[in-house]
Amino acid sequence: MSAAFLSYAFLALCLFYLQNLVYFPHVHLRLLALLLFYVGLRPSLALSLALALVLGALQDSFATTPFGLHLGAALVLVAAARFFRQRLLWQHLGSQVLASLVALVLQEVFMQVSLMTVGYEGFFFKDLLLHHGVEILGTAALGPLMYLLVGAVETFLRHFGWRPGNEPSQYQPFS
Amino acid sequence: MRPRLRYRTPLLIVLAILLVFSVLSLSLKQSPVLKRVEGLVVTVTAPGLQALEYLGRSVKRLWQDYFNLVGAKQENGQLRQSLEEYRQKEVRYQEAQQALTRLEGLLDLKRQVALPVIGARVFAYDPSLWSRCALIDQGRAQGVKTGLPVLAPEGIVGRVVETYPQYAKVMLIVDRKSGADAMVQRTRVRGILQGKGGNRCSLDFVPKSADVQLGDLVLASGLASLYPKGLVFGKVTEANKKNPGVFQEIEVTPAVDLSALEEVLVVKVANLTLSEP
Repeated sequence: MSAAFLSYAFLALCLFYLQNLVYFPHVHLRLLALLLFYVGLRPSLALSLALALVLGALQDSFATTPFGLHLGAALVLVAAARFFRQRLLWQHLGSQVLASLVALVLQEVFMQVSLMTVGYEGFFFKDLLLHHGVEILGTAALGPLMYLLVGAVETFLRHFGWRPGNEPSQYQPFS
Repeated sequence: MRPRLRYRTPLLIVLAILLVFSVLSLSLKQSPVLKRVEGLVVTVTAPGLQALEYLGRSVKRLWQDYFNLVGAKQENGQLRQSLEEYRQKEVRYQEAQQALTRLEGLLDLKRQVALPVIGARVFAYDPSLWSRCALIDQGRAQGVKTGLPVLAPEGIVGRVVETYPQYAKVMLIVDRKSGADAMVQRTRVRGILQGKGGNRCSLDFVPKSADVQLGDLVLASGLASLYPKGLVFGKVTEANKKNPGVFQEIEVTPAVDLSALEEVLVVKVANLTLSEP
């Protein structure tokens, strides 16, 4: 699991740098949230949770919002991913995109409610709602790309003999 | 289903909720443990950002220099002609430059006496829409402290909210947590400049009877010594008196482009009182 965790954490860090140095301030996308959602669809729950903690802490450290907000949002995404994983067919990218859209909306609601709870004025920041909406839609539309990216990381790891925890190890003939 | 697996999901949910609420409540109490975690994450991840930002800047400069070289041959002939003319002007220019250097030295000295500052480079932002802050490459080691105001040549940028050994986090004036006493330059009407996220602020608690017009400059009032008095926050871009209530709705656009900051100044003094502009 540690190899997969380190690879996804490195990928997340690259996406964070990309957002910070290239996309900001013109393009706002929740690439880390999308990555977490698609990793959440993979078999390992421990991997998703570990990644959620790291990504939450990373985003919280670079923001002025209370520490724990992004952490909670990351856990909401993992919970949503696990919920959909049990109930939908994952062969269709369309259903994945729809599920990621729902997960991102849930994350948004969690963040808005949490901010309101800790004293930020203005419920559901009406003035920025459009921006957030476009951001969520744009992010969900990138779902197939993220699916490929997560798959590519897994394929890359398999070259080095890595297997998911619940998958039986490769047949080794007697020599 | 085995009992261990049956209780796994509810247990995980309870643990996750406990974790989130514990961390959030610790954060609201300004827990030093969380500050250390935050400092550690920033210290580990910021050098990468800083290096990539530097690399990007260098590549951009190199690329621009390359294009300059392509056009250089054609320009060469024209420049030779111009050179003779400019030689004549050079003597006068040098005289003027010497005078300027002297005056700049005096001005710098005056500034240093009034406000001791540290120059810093902005190398990262919070890329999300949830907060507006930037990271600068000067930290505790260079004498940066929490609460110090940060300025750009065009006006006020924000203030330091977190310091790390080599870095500091600056909350921009448009952040939703940012609030400061401000006044309209023309009429001296006061209000609270509140960050609204995105790239906007609002001037709150200004009575409808007060005279505020589009284009009015909004300055720091110096109250509570958060920002140096008389420095520019921004310009009034919307003033609405038709809303319900006793106060106007005033939108202020910052004077500084807060999404494209490069070099900033951190003012090192605790008590900020400047002479009237």
